[in-house]
Amino acid sequence: MLRRAGLALAHLLTSLVLGPVTFVWALVTTLVSGLLSFTWLAPPAFLAATWVTRRIARLERWRAALVLRRPVETPYEPASGRNPWTRGRLLVRDPATWRDLAWLLLLVPVAVAGFAGVVAGVVDVAAVVAPLWLWAVPNPYLPPLVDWLFNTTGGRFVLTALGLVLAPVAWWVVTTAARLQARAAAALLEPGPRQRLARRARELAVTRRRVVDAQAAELQRIERDLHDGAQARIVAAGMTLALADRKMRTTGEPARDDVRTARRQLDDALAELRRLVRGIHPPILTDRGLVEALAALAGDAPLPVEVQAADLGELPAAVESAAYFVTAEALANVVKHAEARTCAITLARTPDVLSLEVHDDGRGGADGAGSGLDGLRRRVEALDGTLSVTSPAGGPTRILAELPCAS
Amino acid sequence: MRIVIAEDLLLLRDGLVRMLTDTGHTVVAAVSTAPELEAAVAAHRPDLSIVDVRMPPGFRDEGLRAALAIRAREPKTPILILSQYVERAYAAELIADGNGAVGYLLKDRVTALDEFLDALERVAAGGTAMDPEVVRQLFARNNTDHGINALTPREREVLGLVAQGFSNSAICAELVLASPSVEKHIGNILNKLDLPPSDDTHRRVRAVLAYLNG
Repeated sequence: MLRRAGLALAHLLTSLVLGPVTFVWALVTTLVSGLLSFTWLAPPAFLAATWVTRRIARLERWRAALVLRRPVETPYEPASGRNPWTRGRLLVRDPATWRDLAWLLLLVPVAVAGFAGVVAGVVDVAAVVAPLWLWAVPNPYLPPLVDWLFNTTGGRFVLTALGLVLAPVAWWVVTTAARLQARAAAALLEPGPRQRLARRARELAVTRRRVVDAQAAELQRIERDLHDGAQARIVAAGMTLALADRKMRTTGEPARDDVRTARRQLDDALAELRRLVRGIHPPILTDRGLVEALAALAGDAPLPVEVQAADLGELPAAVESAAYFVTAEALANVVKHAEARTCAITLARTPDVLSLEVHDDGRGGADGAGSGLDGLRRRVEALDGTLSVTSPAGGPTRILAELPCAS
Repeated sequence: MRIVIAEDLLLLRDGLVRMLTDTGHTVVAAVSTAPELEAAVAAHRPDLSIVDVRMPPGFRDEGLRAALAIRAREPKTPILILSQYVERAYAAELIADGNGAVGYLLKDRVTALDEFLDALERVAAGGTAMDPEVVRQLFARNNTDHGINALTPREREVLGLVAQGFSNSAICAELVLASPSVEKHIGNILNKLDLPPSDDTHRRVRAVLAYLNG
């Protein structure tokens, strides 16, 4: 309570100090940039001014963040370019540049309005501690009641009492004033709604491209597996049967060995196909749902794996399959690298998010950017989810996937 | 026949070796990469090379490219490409030099053993053997601005068989036609495709090439 009030008061006071400074800075740089705009000095001057302005804006964001108790985002578009003209043009086009300046100019009126909060806070504090200081500033020219309050010991304690009674009001005024200031700052200094949407669109474009790439790679893998696996085995079986046929025609003897070989080759081809299908979409997922499929995975692992899952309800197929493959890959990593004794899979669902955690007691040190995990991350990000890996050396390793699944 | 085999999958390589050995041929080399193939052909000068399209190191069309390189250095080196898939473009590239002695078959054809052995003989003797699947892909296409369109359906059918490598007498048997009418069809095809007169095999290959580029 007191800390927040102190922080708010400090915010209001620093606004009063900073306001005039930023106002003058904004005015001067605007004027100078305007004057220089017809000379070759314009770009470097503008770049330098913007650099300083952005430092000030950063300070303002930090102040606002302290009061709002949340991070205030930085809105700047990347401005890279070799020559100052192109960089300058990018900065001019970035709305954040102008919003920063607007805030620097606005800080003065906002700080003045915030002065009400400062007064409320200071007066209240002064009243509470009245017995400590009022004796030092005797004032004989006061109306009778005020005179009693200010100039007698009893009256000063009454002031303390009044101050304490009114403290909540003062507290409210101070914190509200500070919060309003910080909100105004955030409104201008954070990315605007259009910019947020643009950013989101960019993010989506990036993740979508990754998904498309991953999908193409996956299709290629499937094609290659078929080509080298089942298809080759079926061709081989065909060859064997062709030879058997020829043998029987020429010798009249049944070619049982060849037929047996062909059958084995066909069995192998089928096994290949089954393995491939499992890698595309595991049939048990279709038949029994996610929890059973994970239990089956756990059962196949060569170490004890515990599956904890509440009732998950209906899940989108893409989420189920992502969760399945994340678990399969994580378990494979545990078996291969972790030297773990036990492993636990925990599934939980809120209405909007399915979270999946794979936790082992192994030696840690997993590389979160490793290719297997990277593929999974793409798969998860494609669904707008997140995948995080914590694996300090010495363990334990914990892989957490969160998949949005609003139905 | 002395044969070189280039196939990276052990299963199929062994299968082919066994099959060819059992049918009285000699496999002088069975290799698994394109550079090995080029070396083996240079060293053994086989009567025929059987080559897989996709081979290490890139697993793309290394086999086909090695075949084209071999034939660029030594035209008329008989090569039969054997693949699990057929592409009309690959077939056209193979036959583009007009020298014949090439074939392009699906691996499935191996199981029709006698026809496969016929195809081997044809290619080794300087003819062609195009997979019916390539021909089917052509018929599936709808091309409008090509000399091929001047052909009657019957003539196309005949050309398709020529492309597969059928001789005149084989075409007679296949289409149940008399020999003179097959010859007439082929003459018409060559005229309509505007192919200059030269020896018969050469013109036939040119016709197939025109067909494949259709």
